[in-house]
Amino acid sequence: MACLARAETTPRILIGPLRRSSRFVCLSSRESTSITIPTARTISTRPQYPRQQQPLRPLPRSPVTPATTFRTYHSHDHPPPPGPFTPAETALLCAAYIHVPRHGFTAEALARGARDAGLLDISPSVLPGGESGGAFRLICWHLYTQRTALGGKVGGLTGDAGSPITNVADKVEALAWERLKGNAEAGVVGRWQEALAVMAHPSYAPTSVKELAQLADEILYLAGDSSVDPSWYSKRASLSAIYAAAELFQTTDQSPDFRETRAFLRRRLQEAARMGGAVRSISEWIGFNAGAAVNVLRSKGVRI
Amino acid sequence: MAARIALKRALPSTRSAFTHSPQQPPRFITRPFSASLPSLAPNPNPSTSASSSPSSSSTSSSSAPDYAIPDPTRPTHFGYETVTEGEKRERVAGVFTSVAESYDRMNDLMSFGWHRVWKDHFVASLNPGFSPLTPGPDPRGPQHILDIAGGTGDIAFRMLHTAHVVNANPAVRVTISDINRAMLTVGKQRSTTLPASQQASLSFVEANAENLSQTRPLHPYPSPIEPTTHDAHGNTEQAFFDPATSTASIPSASVDLYTVAFGIRNFSNIPAALREAYRVLKPGGVFACLEFSKADAHPVFNALYKEWSFRAIPLIGQLVAADRDSYQYLVESIERFPSQAEFRDMIVDAGFVVAGDGWEDLTGGVAAIHKGMKPRA
Ligand SMILES: C[S@@+](CC[C@H](N)C(=O)[O-])C[C@H]1O[C@@H](n2cnc3c(N)ncnc32)[C@H](O)[C@@H]1O
Repeated sequence: MACLARAETTPRILIGPLRRSSRFVCLSSRESTSITIPTARTISTRPQYPRQQQPLRPLPRSPVTPATTFRTYHSHDHPPPPGPFTPAETALLCAAYIHVPRHGFTAEALARGARDAGLLDISPSVLPGGESGGAFRLICWHLYTQRTALGGKVGGLTGDAGSPITNVADKVEALAWERLKGNAEAGVVGRWQEALAVMAHPSYAPTSVKELAQLADEILYLAGDSSVDPSWYSKRASLSAIYAAAELFQTTDQSPDFRETRAFLRRRLQEAARMGGAVRSISEWIGFNAGAAVNVLRSKGVRI
Repeated sequence: MAARIALKRALPSTRSAFTHSPQQPPRFITRPFSASLPSLAPNPNPSTSASSSPSSSSTSSSSAPDYAIPDPTRPTHFGYETVTEGEKRERVAGVFTSVAESYDRMNDLMSFGWHRVWKDHFVASLNPGFSPLTPGPDPRGPQHILDIAGGTGDIAFRMLHTAHVVNANPAVRVTISDINRAMLTVGKQRSTTLPASQQASLSFVEANAENLSQTRPLHPYPSPIEPTTHDAHGNTEQAFFDPATSTASIPSASVDLYTVAFGIRNFSNIPAALREAYRVLKPGGVFACLEFSKADAHPVFNALYKEWSFRAIPLIGQLVAADRDSYQYLVESIERFPSQAEFRDMIVDAGFVVAGDGWEDLTGGVAAIHKGMKPRA
């Protein structure tokens, strides 16, 4: 609801990259960031170029060099680069996102959002995403806003006893958990299996996998992981795998506050740390996910 | 047999009726359907609103060849001798079938048969007629789709099917519009095989895409009922819509979805057409264009495709249709059409907002779908 209630009516020209404040527009109502939603008139119509191509990982950085030299994306002194969504798209997706808990990542949610935004039933067809009719774009919106919101949560992370977290491994776990909580707060857990089915479609899978890698990248960066050796790559791969498994686990978790999911996440991360190897967790992950995915699809009536 | 002779006699003259003007450069002598080359001249006055006469902007566009602008006073060579009504009908049918077939053949050659798949994808990605489940009909009235350069109805019929059958929304109306009355007449004939409810939701309108405030309901060309070689002003009847005969217009903010498939590169003034699209769309309405494009992102594939299109297609045209020039034109018009990003910028300059990159490549960029939305005022 935050998104509509806060929609700014005063025309305001947004020039250049979207402001940071407009990036987290629809997270949850408890988010109190100042929010500006570009209204139709104020939006700059042309997508900003160069488009954000956040590299999966630039060259490993040297420990003596400040991270910001390499990762300006994360710099707090610079405005963030424009997201992959144009302002018009942002307004539309933001309005539709509110309907996801009830209607899923579907054309229905998009059309309802369009009506709320004073647009037409046909308006969402302007979204890219081919035959998913914008549904995949709505999923991307969820992934993107949730991922970029992590930066704002890193300061408030506390351990079980409420004490600040200092060690990298614990921060990784806490951030992954924050991200999983984001699914719950957005009310999309019950819709996530459908979303996974869309994401697994051959034309969307590459983007989906890339987004997952970016999430792992973000979590490791925010946790302050500064390793420069090749183990970084295996860490990222393990983290991607573990996160994806935990997310799938979450979709079937009935425990209060997703306690089981949290325990699952912790166990997996500890195991990975013990084994120290990505290879093992990746193969485990493939086994786990393949099995789980088949079950999920079967439960949806897909004949496998 | 008789049909064959009739076709042979009628075909060249139809072709001339489309485009001929005595002063045109010899290189473009035969051009069966489109009368024009895309004009890439910058619009001298981009802020001019759609109400300014697009015909004047056509003429002011320096690179638009004069034969690109339908001119009722220009002599055509469509001269009928007196023929019996039955003979004429046969002849007319022959012309129409050959025009339509020639289109399909060209599209097939340029796209290796992919254009049917692209059209399906185009329509599916627009999902016309989809409406959220709310009690009662949409308070904002039924969806209106305008298919510009709709020719023989390929896109419009698919739209109707998706809206009426797939999305079970029989309230959706589709208007097929084209500057070429012969093409529209074929479309109308083809539409008689559709279910009655779909036929009732279709209308056919003669119009130049660059000026949608001057239109007229389809007068079949040539009239099968009342053979005449002259229009209301005593001029020789034209296959092209003559704006002087207009009786209607497409109102501003009256259309939900504007589509144009394989048509826009033939317009002589693309910015004028985009301004008109903007004018007739409702706020929130969507402009969607399917067009041959540039496969530049894949150099090897692009080189092969260019080789194919520039060498093979005109040759095939010559061998199959004894018509090298029009196939040559087809290839050149595609080559001259702006790149994906340039065309996206033209759409934005007309006032539309885009999502993502603003386009989607099909088959490596051999074709592309561009979309834009008219923002809320
Ligand atoms: C290749 S056909 C496309 C037909 C159909 N849309 C399809 O995809 O099969 C191009 C059409 O553009 C039409 N056309 C060319 N210039 C036009 C203009 N200025 N206004 C309206 N239609 C035009 C031609 O008459 C022709 O029917």
